Amino acid sequence: MKRKNNKFNKRPQNPLNKLSLFQKSDSRFSKKCPLSGKDAPVIDYKNVKLLKRYISDTDKIMPSRITSVSQNKQRKLTSEIKKAKILGFI
Amino acid sequence: MNFYEHTLITKQDLSTPELSNIEKKYKDIITKTDGKVIKVEKWGLLSFAKKIKAYNKGFYIHYKFEAENKTLDEIKKNSIIDNSLLRHLTVKYKKLDTETEYFKENEKKK
Repeated sequence: MKRKNNKFNKRPQNPLNKLSLFQKSDSRFSKKCPLSGKDAPVIDYKNVKLLKRYISDTDKIMPSRITSVSQNKQRKLTSEIKKAKILGFI
Repeated sequence: MNFYEHTLITKQDLSTPELSNIEKKYKDIITKTDGKVIKVEKWGLLSFAKKIKAYNKGFYIHYKFEAENKTLDEIKKNSIIDNSLLRHLTVKYKKLDTETEYFKENEKKK
């Protein structure tokens, strides 16, 4: 006889089902990198519209844990943002 | 031979013949030192995000060229002395993208 695993797979989907506010939600969300993959935008110091999405209000570079940019692309982003700052675009 | 991009920022209060003189000057420097100019773009008058040497705006000139190391030294020498320039930047590329122009819309509005 097969054991039914349905009982263990059930997880609270509605956040209101939590017992307390500090309980961590079981469902982990993993976002894909927006700058890699097919037909991704080109990271370049002339592409100011794209770069402005990845800086804060006070012109700081946003960390990749917030924007979910991959490690390789984040390195490219920082170098291109710094070039754009030299030319006065940002 | 490698591919390079070079951008100049000139002062705001220059007349049009002075601007074309500057554009010609750096074109000649590249061609004299065995380089090849592929494309020249004029981005026009753009405003800075922050003040640069007490200026709020500047004219942008953009070069795409193929050259060796000695031309870069010549460009750097000249642009440091040049009083009408505010800033300059050269970037090395493996492949040049000559089709997309990011600042074309800005020129039409003005």
